[in-house]
Amino acid sequence: MLEIRGLRKIFGAGKVALDGVSFAVPAGQMFGFVGANGAGKTTTMRIVMGVLQADEGDVLWNGRPLTFAERRTFGYMPEERGLYQKMRVGEQIDYFGRLHGLGAASVGKARDALIGRLGLTERVDDTVESLSLGNQQRVQLAVALIHDPELLILDEPFSGLDPIAVDVLAEVLHERARGGVPVIFSSHQLELVERLCDSVGIVSAGRMVASGSVEELRDAEGRRLRVVVRDPKPGWADGLPGELSKEGDRDVLTVVGGDDQAVLRRAVEAGHVEFFGVERPTLVEIFREAVA
Amino acid sequence: MNGLLMVAGREIRTQVRTRAFVISLIVSALLTGGIAFAPKLFGGPDEYNLGRVGGQELAVQALAPEAKIIWKTFPDEQAASKAVLDGDVDVALVDSKRVLTNGEIDSELGLLLQSANREAQIGAAGVTVTPLQMQSVGADTRYEGARQGIATVVVLLLFFMIMSSVMVVAMGVVEEKGSRIVEILLISIRPWQLLGGKIFGLGVVGFVNLTAVVAAGLVGAFLSGFATDFPPGMAGIVVSAVAWWILGYAFFAALAGSLASLVSRQEEVGNVLQPMMLLFLISYGVSFFASTNPDHPVSEILSFVPPFSSMVMPVRMAASEVALWESLLSGALMVIAVAAVLMVGGRIYERAVLRTGRRLKVSEVLRTK
Repeated sequence: MLEIRGLRKIFGAGKVALDGVSFAVPAGQMFGFVGANGAGKTTTMRIVMGVLQADEGDVLWNGRPLTFAERRTFGYMPEERGLYQKMRVGEQIDYFGRLHGLGAASVGKARDALIGRLGLTERVDDTVESLSLGNQQRVQLAVALIHDPELLILDEPFSGLDPIAVDVLAEVLHERARGGVPVIFSSHQLELVERLCDSVGIVSAGRMVASGSVEELRDAEGRRLRVVVRDPKPGWADGLPGELSKEGDRDVLTVVGGDDQAVLRRAVEAGHVEFFGVERPTLVEIFREAVA
Repeated sequence: MNGLLMVAGREIRTQVRTRAFVISLIVSALLTGGIAFAPKLFGGPDEYNLGRVGGQELAVQALAPEAKIIWKTFPDEQAASKAVLDGDVDVALVDSKRVLTNGEIDSELGLLLQSANREAQIGAAGVTVTPLQMQSVGADTRYEGARQGIATVVVLLLFFMIMSSVMVVAMGVVEEKGSRIVEILLISIRPWQLLGGKIFGLGVVGFVNLTAVVAAGLVGAFLSGFATDFPPGMAGIVVSAVAWWILGYAFFAALAGSLASLVSRQEEVGNVLQPMMLLFLISYGVSFFASTNPDHPVSEILSFVPPFSSMVMPVRMAASEVALWESLLSGALMVIAVAAVLMVGGRIYERAVLRTGRRLKVSEVLRTK
């Protein structure tokens, strides 16, 4: 289990990058890290991976401060991809595996399995610079996964991938999570995060403004009732809570909380009810609400 | 240590496999071998083809024991002069009286012929000439010319071989920093392993280059016969040049690696290496000076001051006699300097290599953690 406690980071010119970020990712959980550009996602991940030092706060691994030896078992995909351009794909993956402490035999086995999984088998002897950006990204991912890491931190792993590659990557990450590995990744593709993640953290201006499972975040937003009435009598919604808007000859009433049955009775009297239901906010809506 | 060796292994494999490495190795080996062999082609021992019509052969060989003298006889003057014009013989002696030449005679050959003729005539008159004996009361200067030549070669060799390897270290550091590979590398290894492995691995590659060039040069020198002019202690000169290359390389590579870690783009490497280049060029300049003035106080003093000593001392050793204690002391001082620059450079590298973006200053890197 990875715990982040009260991380603070102030950069040179007094710019507050992190202002007390805290969250935890238990074993086997997939954690989606979302936030606007510059909100502090990358900074947080870089601190966890030891690329940056926090001014305050702790990174705990299984309840104790994270050590170099433990971090060595982590897999990391940085925001700015880094590979040796002139090195061959297979050799590159092997090299990182060996640096992480794998033996020659086990690195070969892990590499073959991984490149098969990621669809790189035919490119194994090509240099990285000769690959498309999408394929380079797969190699980058292979480098992060080669040593069967105990924690995965991936900065925007899905950006730039085609839909097929997105599915492959999602599946690979799911597998790792099912194997008990905490997986943390950042993304701007909120539908994807909503679909994949057990829990989500929303950062804004260096603060964690909301975190929890997608369900919890939705509940926190509250139930939202939506009623659509065609050709209503004017003024039918007077005195009811919520917001009324017009879409052509239809009235749309959105109500948070309150007595839904009372609203329904008034709507039926007012006209033809086309839609009546409780809507759950999407992550996009939760996100907009949270960072507003 | 394991991590360091893995990094070194990658550097060696990467370098050795490039076509540029193989080509430059072959070209530089051929070039040095060729230069060492060149005296045989262009200078070398003199060879004279002499023609004769009647008369006696002159005892030219006795006067020039190292030269190769070949006599040819011709039936008449006409045949001899044709041979001179065709270049079959350099000159032709006619009846021990006249010498046929094609234009001006080679001055050395002219002197040889005149002396031999004089001796022959004096000898015929029954007088024996006792040659003058030469006796030096100064230092043994027989090898001065050769030593000077060897010292110049040592200067150039150290200059090119240190610089080329050091630049690869600097470029490699920036490649890893600029592309952020370093962020992944440093999850699994420590900064000192990464920098140390790079310096060590590229050092091995540079060492292979150096030995190939030195070996090619020596082979060329032996084949051409130039090696007979080698001063006593030539083996020591070669070994010390190689040993000093190691020390000089270690010093400048550590300096270059740490300075390069201050920048994130290859275009900035030249700029950030300027202080190191200055130091290196001063070493080069002084060692060039020392190759002709090995006993000048400036040469003597700087042959003890690191890092200048890394180039000045081996040059002094080639150009003149240096006492063993002098080279040992100078070597020990250089080893201390290398250790110091590795320590400080390692610290700079460790603190700077993850701070991508604008160029950093050494002072700010050392001040902040």
